Amino acid sequence: MNEFEKLEAELKELRPLPPSEEFTARLETALGDAGKVAMCCLPEDEDNEQAVSPPSHVTDAHKLISFPRLALYAGLVSGGLAAVWAGVFYLSGLIAPDGPGIEPGMEDAPLVVQNPMPVRPLMRLDDPDSPLHGLSLDQIQDVSVMPVSGWLDPQINERFLRMVDEGVYQQPGGLPARRVRHFFMDETLWSHPASDTRILSTTPREEVFLIELETY
Amino acid sequence: MNSDPMNTEPIWKSWFARHGAKLLLFARQQSRRPDEAEDLLQEAFVRIWRLYGHTGEVSPGLVYRAIRRLAIDWARSIDRRQARENRVALDSPLSFSFERTLEQDERKQALLRAVERLPDQQKEVVTLKIWGELTFDEIARTLDESLNTVASRYRYALEKLRDWVPEEMEGKKEDTSQSS
Repeated sequence: MNEFEKLEAELKELRPLPPSEEFTARLETALGDAGKVAMCCLPEDEDNEQAVSPPSHVTDAHKLISFPRLALYAGLVSGGLAAVWAGVFYLSGLIAPDGPGIEPGMEDAPLVVQNPMPVRPLMRLDDPDSPLHGLSLDQIQDVSVMPVSGWLDPQINERFLRMVDEGVYQQPGGLPARRVRHFFMDETLWSHPASDTRILSTTPREEVFLIELETY
Repeated sequence: MNSDPMNTEPIWKSWFARHGAKLLLFARQQSRRPDEAEDLLQEAFVRIWRLYGHTGEVSPGLVYRAIRRLAIDWARSIDRRQARENRVALDSPLSFSFERTLEQDERKQALLRAVERLPDQQKEVVTLKIWGELTFDEIARTLDESLNTVASRYRYALEKLRDWVPEEMEGKKEDTSQSS
């Protein structure tokens, strides 16, 4: 280790102060709904928590499950299961001809595999149909207390509110123009006939029109 | 399937627990005022998370860059410039931005004082490299500088620190002997 590497190591030993809890709370308020768009699942029970929990020195926030890692675990578990099944079929093919033979009438009996280790799902997999990362459609339905399917196509309506003439406006490098501002309200209506639910979203919008004036 | 809706946590919290401390350190360095640093970090983080937070993963480099650009914008505004001119007494040393432990030895304190003495441009490169854990390429993009420039600044900074830490330790000893 040269002197610069030693210096770097010494600098890295110094740990910057973490943000205060008050600041994190302030951030949560400032984020509003944007902070709730992406969620991650916490362990469902103690066993799962043990299965995925990091070492105790890691902060609580790091106990949250990382989805790429969980996907890897799920891949490994399913890969292991596939290997067990493949092994069983391979062995049954080898042993059956020389073995004690299958009792008559048992040819079609389902093959029972004694799995030495009970395989439990470690995580809730991402639902590909869900628009929210980390939440399945069922969870969204529970959280929102609204059905997730059966909605009609939204009806979009543009409502003109008023027009304001803002007078003459000198365009940079161009002719003078009259500036007119139009105010609209965009409405989107979602309907769910089965539950007789309707959601109306309104968004104000402005458009500015420049009407060029003729100069004589 | 357990559909307990309470068994979830916003991803930004775990993300911020991982990166918040180093982002705040950088924000402190850019603003040089603890109260403004939190405003700076909040503004930058909220902007970036609103844009990319739905993906669940945001590159910290984006937030570093937003902090720097906001700091420049804020510094340009007259009000903040006046506040900056009047802030001398409010400045806090870099050492207040780090965890203070009982066993923090003299050499570490000297190291922090030496980092404090570095020119701003070198200090921000050291901060991003050491505590921000960014690559030189990411640092170059964050600071809008060339790769060679940031790598040179880093090397000069380490050379200075190597020379200054013994000086700082000697200086401290002299101060102690004079006061006793």
